[in-house]
Amino acid sequence: MSVFDITSASVSLPERFSTYRQRIKTFTNISGMGLRLGTRFMMEAPRKYPWLKTLLTADTLFDMSTRARRGPYRQASAWALSEVIASITDMLEGVFGNPEKTVMHEDLVPPEILTAMGLNPWMAELLGIMGPLIRSDFAEEYIDAAENEGTPPDVCSLPKATMGLVLKGQMPHPKAILTSNMPCDGGMSSYTLMEKRLNVPCFRLDVPYNFYDDRSAEYFAKELFRAVDWLEEHTPGRMDWDRLREVCTLRNRATEFQMEVWDLLREKPAPMAGEPLYLGHMIFQVAMPGREKSVRYFETLLAHAKKIRAAGGALPDERYRIALWNPPTLIYPELFAWAEQRYNAVMLMDMISYNRHPYIDTKSPETMMRDLARIIMAGPMARHTRGPQENFFSDLFELCERFSMDMIWMAGHIGCKNTMALSGMFREKCRERGVPLLIINYDLSDTRVVSPAEVRKQAEAFMETVMKAGAPVDSEAKAS
Amino acid sequence: MAKYFGGCDLGSTTGKAVILKDGKVVSSATIRSRIDPVETGKEVLELAIRQVEGISSVRDLAYLVGTGYGRNEVPFANENVSEISCHALGANFLDSKVRTIIDVGGQDVKAISLDEKGAVLEFAMNDKCAAGTGRFYEAVVRTFDVTLDQFSALSLKAKKVVPVTSQCTVFAESELVSLLYKRHSPADIAAGVQLSVAKRVFTLVRRVGVKEKVVVTGGCAKNLGLIKALEKVLRVPISDLPLDPQLMGALGAAVVGWRKG
Repeated sequence: MSVFDITSASVSLPERFSTYRQRIKTFTNISGMGLRLGTRFMMEAPRKYPWLKTLLTADTLFDMSTRARRGPYRQASAWALSEVIASITDMLEGVFGNPEKTVMHEDLVPPEILTAMGLNPWMAELLGIMGPLIRSDFAEEYIDAAENEGTPPDVCSLPKATMGLVLKGQMPHPKAILTSNMPCDGGMSSYTLMEKRLNVPCFRLDVPYNFYDDRSAEYFAKELFRAVDWLEEHTPGRMDWDRLREVCTLRNRATEFQMEVWDLLREKPAPMAGEPLYLGHMIFQVAMPGREKSVRYFETLLAHAKKIRAAGGALPDERYRIALWNPPTLIYPELFAWAEQRYNAVMLMDMISYNRHPYIDTKSPETMMRDLARIIMAGPMARHTRGPQENFFSDLFELCERFSMDMIWMAGHIGCKNTMALSGMFREKCRERGVPLLIINYDLSDTRVVSPAEVRKQAEAFMETVMKAGAPVDSEAKAS
Repeated sequence: MAKYFGGCDLGSTTGKAVILKDGKVVSSATIRSRIDPVETGKEVLELAIRQVEGISSVRDLAYLVGTGYGRNEVPFANENVSEISCHALGANFLDSKVRTIIDVGGQDVKAISLDEKGAVLEFAMNDKCAAGTGRFYEAVVRTFDVTLDQFSALSLKAKKVVPVTSQCTVFAESELVSLLYKRHSPADIAAGVQLSVAKRVFTLVRRVGVKEKVVVTGGCAKNLGLIKALEKVLRVPISDLPLDPQLMGALGAAVVGWRKG
């Protein structure tokens, strides 16, 4: 067994070579960013931004994502990771290369607007997300920094990690901040701290709570127009409505391809699973939507899915389908590759990826802003965790039906009070429907609360006891 | 020739073994866990086997299943199964109407919801600390300077309940000392301990849902004071099992083997 508790699949030399090619591409991309930014950056950056060293080791993610996989699914996983990391590198290059045009934002803000204004969107939480994926204890020093400055320990560890980066002076300096009244209280307060520490102007969008009617969409669209005016006042960005039309068209095209992938996911065995789906969505539809690269990503993902389907599916012996609710387990992304290998279980859809994806009407600035508003309002955090509880459960059970899920894994991040408060109701609803539910007790970004090994133990106990998936392989070996 | 099926549950505090013949329990044994789990397994199985005529060693068993914390260490086991599944199977084997099991063991507490076939529908467990487990009671009786049986009987004599607020084994011990020094009646304090454990168990059982029939398994099931406190808190009667509840895991393990024939 490896450190990930995943055994290497026996693969051919060309398959192995193809993964290495993607790894090399990734390393070249990251180091290429340094070269393009110049000698001065190369000299100063490792001291100023020590987390860049972790990013340099991002190719370790390939071990997690490809080790257990074979054939076209392995190829697709390696390709997807390399695309995801390349895009993050692109984003960082913009942030480091042109801080005057960089706007820090959170995920209830449409980055399409920033792109159309010629600004660099910089999703503040991205480092706190990617860091633990690469190195599980990445966020801990930043969490401690935030707590040492007085942040309560029960605040979500993701905004704490983001605050820690700012407090330690390791966050790239933006020109302005664009945030919102998000439902995460820790997240909301983190922007107050960041605004003060970074000493930059900050605009807070008011996302309405009741978002089912046109009035709410119009209200939020007005908020977006207000944000544009504010950005024009505080940054060098200028709104180019034709450019926004292009960006929205690209987003629509990417969504079309993504929906086609989703259609294929209904087949058994599924032609795609895991990171290519959820990491791809996080980067190309949440952090950096509306770009040529996003369209290409989903178009190629679809092509890969078709190839995998022709080869008999991602896991030809697929036995179980998992719906993941809440964000993926950042400290232990191997969980899904492990579940594939150990139980032939595929994770097909998660809370962040499953939103309603309304298409954008590009007829006029008003229609574009209204539909961008709708995308945010129907997005995961705005929709699922503000209440009422119907928003949280209706999407979940809808996706369970749509993709014929066998079970739900709720990544029960203790820092998310909004979703943890629904645990009891969650159990009752699953019990009523006869859907097996595993609530994983853990912390999204802090391995000291629950270790990755303990997370795996919880999944093992559930699979063995409730799903009757058989004893873990190592125990079987011991008993025989 | 008759076939014998063995189940061996290596728990944190005790090792248990049950032997089945023709679907009936023919012998059982319980011993305190040794440092080496393999030794515990060997010894408890030997004790159980010694009570059965016709077999003389583990090798004479048609099938042996291991369970419990040390399930990987049961010597000569053909298979190992999780203790949650085994408790469910054991209780279902004795009474198919059981739908909720509260397993209060030496080191953890589990709540298990099961169907009419004994399959686990849901479970919840507390294995982070010793509060509300056998280890907790061991610390408590040390403070009271009585045996577990005496403590249980004492708690049933209470005229009122002195609340014990500390859930942690270490803090509860010091809280008990201070309550005793304040000259509260030991019986009333003992009742407070039972209620405090019952409340802790209650939150766990609520996670899987309380559906009758409810039974308690594990070593602490022999603590009548706890059973009464649980009935009060859960507001449902706790049913008796026709076999030592501490043996439920080992029985379930033996049932797994017996069903395989």
